[in-house]
Amino acid sequence: MIKLQELTKYYKKHSRGILDVTLEIKQGEIFGFIGPNGAGKSTTVRTLLNLIFPTSGSATVSGLDVVSDTIEIRKMVGYIPSEVAFYGDMYVKDFIEYACSFHGNIDQLFVDELVEKLELDINRKIEDLSFGNKKKVAIITALATHPKILILDEPTSGLDPLMQNMFFQLLESEKKKGTTIFFSSHNLSEVQRICDRVGIIKEGRLIKVENIEDILKTRAKKVRIKTQADFKHTEDMLKVEKMNGFISFVYTGEMRTLIELLSQIDIEDVSITEPPLEEIFMHYYEKEELN
Amino acid sequence: MKKLIVTEFKRNFKSLILWTSIVAGMAALMLLLYPAFKDSFVQLEELLSIYPEDFLEAFGMGEGGLDMSDFYGWFGVEGYLFVNLIGGSYAAILGGTILSKEEDDKTVEFLLSKPISRDHILFGKGLVVSINLLLMNAFVGLVLLIAFTIYGDLNVVVWLLFSFAPFILQMIFASIAFFISVFVTKSRKVLSVALGIVIGMYVIDLISKLTEEFEYLKYITPYEYINAVTIVNDEMIKPIYLLISVLIILISFTAAWFFYRKKDIVA
Repeated sequence: MIKLQELTKYYKKHSRGILDVTLEIKQGEIFGFIGPNGAGKSTTVRTLLNLIFPTSGSATVSGLDVVSDTIEIRKMVGYIPSEVAFYGDMYVKDFIEYACSFHGNIDQLFVDELVEKLELDINRKIEDLSFGNKKKVAIITALATHPKILILDEPTSGLDPLMQNMFFQLLESEKKKGTTIFFSSHNLSEVQRICDRVGIIKEGRLIKVENIEDILKTRAKKVRIKTQADFKHTEDMLKVEKMNGFISFVYTGEMRTLIELLSQIDIEDVSITEPPLEEIFMHYYEKEELN
Repeated sequence: MKKLIVTEFKRNFKSLILWTSIVAGMAALMLLLYPAFKDSFVQLEELLSIYPEDFLEAFGMGEGGLDMSDFYGWFGVEGYLFVNLIGGSYAAILGGTILSKEEDDKTVEFLLSKPISRDHILFGKGLVVSINLLLMNAFVGLVLLIAFTIYGDLNVVVWLLFSFAPFILQMIFASIAFFISVFVTKSRKVLSVALGIVIGMYVIDLISKLTEEFEYLKYITPYEYINAVTIVNDEMIKPIYLLISVLIILISFTAAWFFYRKKDIVA
């Protein structure tokens, strides 16, 4: 459905955008696209929408070229930008009508349903809305036209946990309809929650594409323990650091083994958390280097 | 595209009303002052005679210039300048911001994610600029029609020229500002450049009239193209100036289109 072939974008001022990104997303798939800020996620999204032009390589959506057939592509795409910016002086209901007008008829019943689910007051001016509420407007305008493809760039930022849940439910029902979803994010856990496959991008390069099951299998945890005891680390522990009586490392092995190991020594405190994305990248980098 | 045009028009309507009121208000004010000056025109002429001829020429009052005891002449010297300066400023601001505002406010990302081509966006916005300027001049024309009819015989040609010649000047400023705004997208910067052109061109117009040495500069200032002296005395706009004006407008819009359609939007 979405196909990137050695897609490269250089900016005049900022030099690198993305380099040789090759990727294929199947119809009905939810594809997570993760990477830290500045990795090239938005560049990829902007190329798909032809906001920017590729330097080399190509990208197609449903067999249509992103540059020459951009209007046809945009007819079937719903887009949620990372930074929502709409016309502040417009009323929400007028804006939704305006946004839908580009696609032809409005499915008012569906719009009403979305407005109710997301608890949005459509009689307010956009400039009076909070960031989260503006995001809701973006969600509604993206879904209201029944798009075949959803392109989401950090869609959950600004939404409270309840609304995030509602949003994921909406995405799941879109998936059931066969909608293809390109989900760009820097939050691994939300990507894990909903996506079928995940692509990891760093410094403009796509370094890994994996099924979500495989990611979960190799999922690393950040472990931090406070102990005076002599702690022997194993090869499953990466980036081991010792400081002020604390030992921290990224653990990539079996959880049961770790718990057994920890139970054998005298521990004052322990925390096991999701590691920052950077450390997961380190994990992938180290694996790639070994390969 | 119809919806885009209607929405753009609505979004710019308040400022259209405001600027039209100012321009029409200034024209009306100057025309209201005419009866008071008409009677004292003899004294005024004596007063003016102390100024050098070149200086009077610059303001259209020299030999072969305008007769200020006549209301067309009076408006040509006193009101027309305000219409052109203020109306020109509005045109430059409107032309310079209608496109760049989308990038400055980052709303362009929304607009360009919708199935509408950049060509249509440019055409729609260009059309709204033209419609707004036409409406402003039509309203000013109405004020002039009333005033000229009250003061004496209505010369339809002069009235029409006074009403719509500023439209040509405004379109020149709007199209140049529109072109600049493809590259300079920060609204404040666009405004400075656009207003700089409006004022700068007026200064060039004065210089070209005050000095013989720089007379050739008159060919590059749009104020000369729609000179009040030619309108009142010859009842026309010189064809060569009309041609230059149309060319400037067409080239500016075409160049804006040429660069915008291939532009990376990195707002």
